Order: sequence, then C-alpha cells, then structure tokens
Amino acid sequence: MKKFIYLIALLSFSVYSQGKYLTKTGTVSFEASVPSFEEVKAKNDAVTAILNTDNGDFAALILVKGFRFKNALMEEHFNENYAESDEYPKATFKGNLNGFNVSSIDGNSTFKVSGSLTFHGKSKEISDINCNVVKTDKGLELTGNFSVTPSDFDIEIPKIVSKKIAEDIEVSFKFDVIKK
Amino acid sequence: MRKKTIVLLIIVISGIAGYNYIYKDHRNIEKEKAAFTLKSTELSNEFLVSSSDSEKKYLNKTIEISGKVTEVDNNTLVIDNNIFCQFLNPISNSIKTDAVITIKGRFIGYDDLLEEIKLDQCSLSKN
Repeated sequence: MKKFIYLIALLSFSVYSQGKYLTKTGTVSFEASVPSFEEVKAKNDAVTAILNTDNGDFAALILVKGFRFKNALMEEHFNENYAESDEYPKATFKGNLNGFNVSSIDGNSTFKVSGSLTFHGKSKEISDINCNVVKTDKGLELTGNFSVTPSDFDIEIPKIVSKKIAEDIEVSFKFDVIKK
Repeated sequence: MRKKTIVLLIIVISGIAGYNYIYKDHRNIEKEKAAFTLKSTELSNEFLVSSSDSEKKYLNKTIEISGKVTEVDNNTLVIDNNIFCQFLNPISNSIKTDAVITIKGRFIGYDDLLEEIKLDQCSLSKN
C-alpha cells in the first residue's frame, strides 16, 4: 500500500513538473530559388513539434512527403531524386533552446537554438539559429530561419539543373505550440 | 511546302507535350481510387505490430479509412486518437467528435514522436 502511494505521488509529481507544449500543424518551408528561373519552394504544414518549457528541449518531426510544391513535376523530382522520400520518409530535429526560461518571455524574446538536423538519412549539427518566441493566447509561437546546403545532407544537384537551384537553401519555421 | 507543315506540326505537338509534362497537374487524391480501404482500428493495429513495415506499405498511397472522430480543428481531424488527417479545405461544422466518418487521403508517414499515422489532402468520402 505504501509503495502504491509513493507511485501515485511520483506520477503526479512528474506530471506537474513537465511543461510540454506541442503542435501537430507546424509549418516548415524551404526556398532555393534563383532569380529569373522558376521558383524552387516548398511548404509542409503538418509538422509535429514539442517544446519542454522546463529545460528548453525541443524536438520536431517532418514527414518529407508532406512538402508541397507549386509544380507537380518538381515535387516528384524532389521526392524521387533528391530527398529520396521512399527510403527516408522522415526529417527530424532534436535540440535545445539555450537558456530557455518560460517566465522570462515578455512580448518577444529570442533564443539561440542548437541541435542536430537529420534529413536524407544524414545528420548535421547546427547551432546559433535565432528563434523568436512570442506568447500567444493559447501558448507560444516559435519562428525563425536558417540556411543549409544540399551537400550537408549528401544530396547531389546534377550540373544540368544546378544553375536553377540556389546553393544555399533558406529554411523557415513557425510552430504554434499549445500546452498539453 | 508539305514537308514544312509536317515539321512545324511535329514541333508544335512536341512543344505541347513537353509543356504538359513540365507543368502537369498534381495528383488529385479526392478523385483517385483508394489503394486500400479499411477500418481505423485495422490500420492502427498494423502500425502497432510494425510501424516501419506498415509505413513502407502505405507510403504515398491513397487510403480510405472509416472510424470515430476524436478531435476536430479547422482543417484537421483525428480519428481514433491516432490517425491524423489534414484536409485541403476547412472541415464542415457538421462534423463533431464521436461522429463516425469515412475519409480518403494520402498517407505521408508515421509520426514516432506522437505515435500518429498522418494523412494529407484528405476529403470526406460520400457514402
């Protein structure tokens, strides 16, 4: 009986100490357009993201097939030749908002994010990304952007199209996380 | 003269074909025939047994699922607590939690973080 009470106490304690904020409909988009060529841009608005407000730990999961392009052929090529989404259906980010403290947020705060980004089966450590955090009615809004290159993730751009695809790919994100 | 018209015709036809190839339409999941039709519980069980095998089996396929709505938002809803469906258009107000519905959508992957099956480009199936 005593053990049981301890267990309950432990469980309820862990429930209260965990400040978990999450979204299932976060947005991640990337753009690698070159002026005067057709835009190379895609958006995924079903990204899962979880933020632990106790320690700033952050995780996101992107299903690569969910990236939508304006041009259907471009989407097909992206999935088949570059992202190879049949083999690598997921992209993930695991990291931390450095020095995150939920009580210090008033209006608009910026935190540095560092962590590891996995795409196309390859991981890359990224750091020093600025992430804006704004308090909203229901939770927090995290926004920011950073750039990566295809070679970071072992993606080769064939010479014939390399002129039409920018070397630096701009990635931007927006997560409206709500307390769970 | 005749040769010239034939050459011109070939150029025009290949031009149109090329244009249609480059600017072809997106898949229309709503009009596509479902590759799999099943109950939400059957699908969930398959992912419980092996999420990676099931993910391979269904990836990018159009599936039709019937089950109970457990969560509704603007253009997303959840069936059976673990099948997340994103609709192309806002969901009609008549759909409430606990309603039993059939939807058709494209499976885009399994979310390990929340243990959810995710579909996009969903639409309500007419019964």
